Amino acid sequence: MSSRALAITLKIPDNEAFTALRALQRLHIPVAAVERAEVWIFESSLSDEALVEGVRANETLFNPNKHELRVLRDERPRDGEVWIGEQGEDPASRAKLGGKPLAGVTAVRRYTAWLLSGEEGAALPRDQVDLAARGLLCNPAIEKAIL
Amino acid sequence: MNAKVAVLVYPGTNSENETLRALLDAEVDAELVHWSNAATLANFDAYVLPGGFAYEDRIRAGAIAAHDRMTDAVIEGAQKGKMVLGICNGAQVLLEAGLVPGTGPVRRPTAAFTKNAPSGKFVCKHVYVKLNIAPQRCAITAGLPGEALIPAWAAHGEGRLAGSADHLDEISHGGHLAFVYAHADGSVDDAAVPNGSALGAAALTNSQGNVLAIMPHPERDAWTFNHPFSRDGRSGMTFFHSFAKGLKQQ
Repeated sequence: MSSRALAITLKIPDNEAFTALRALQRLHIPVAAVERAEVWIFESSLSDEALVEGVRANETLFNPNKHELRVLRDERPRDGEVWIGEQGEDPASRAKLGGKPLAGVTAVRRYTAWLLSGEEGAALPRDQVDLAARGLLCNPAIEKAIL
Repeated sequence: MNAKVAVLVYPGTNSENETLRALLDAEVDAELVHWSNAATLANFDAYVLPGGFAYEDRIRAGAIAAHDRMTDAVIEGAQKGKMVLGICNGAQVLLEAGLVPGTGPVRRPTAAFTKNAPSGKFVCKHVYVKLNIAPQRCAITAGLPGEALIPAWAAHGEGRLAGSADHLDEISHGGHLAFVYAHADGSVDDAAVPNGSALGAAALTNSQGNVLAIMPHPERDAWTFNHPFSRDGRSGMTFFHSFAKGLKQQ
């Protein structure tokens, strides 16, 4: 049993990320671009290839018309990125994947990843990402932010 | 001169017309104000945030709207003591804006109306809400009798009050729990709660009592044709008549 993280992103324009960008700019955070991804961390006995294949075939997770999928090297946010997860998430229950479970997957965690870049495309400094999480991206009453 | 009430329309709001109609039927001088006219909001004496999906619930329900220019005016008005009512998505916006329960800084929420439990699914159900505070504790409920029972429709996927144990304790003991879900006979238990809401909460108020956030829709049970099951004499209009009384005393 091992843990693997996959990121699902939109290949069509992401209106939600654009709205977040405008709202963060209104909060005077010096952000020039926002990229959003769904990060799924799977506890499974599957090979990388089998897991990717299973996720691609799972219509509750992945729509080939609008999504792209990549395997993440690390199970933690990159520079300039924050992951927002639900407090009290139950990974075993999440593995049911809305009634379409993947064989060989025993636990699933889900995060929304927000990658914030400044001018010239540089990752936003950690303190600014923290400010963005506290000010907008995370409601600490129900969510947790991982930087 | 009559107090003027703005019914706010964010992009994605969808209950503005029935909310306006209920206010007008309660003889409140109310009008719709769209997001493009945010600059006019300072001229109003009270604000009502109707239900819907402001900004498509992007990021979280109410999160973007809580930072909108219209909400700047609502926050400023609330801090001056103006009455503010949020219904359903409007209630979610008020929690995200930190106006209710109002136990933390503005725009730093200490609680949320979030995903229903245990199903996690949208609920559409006729409910009753029972006044859980002394009527005078909140300007909007001041015209109601003690323990008033109001019929309404719960119509939400994210109506469950959630927060840390400390914050829920603050809500419970600080007099913020304005309405709880109840049965038609006024009794209160877990079975009356349609969404797993902590404390059985249906509505919260702030410390000053001028802001109320209510999840179910009393405006959807305001008229005879909204009563599907009974003619028990109760109507969601009672709630709006109380709002009108509060406005006169503001």
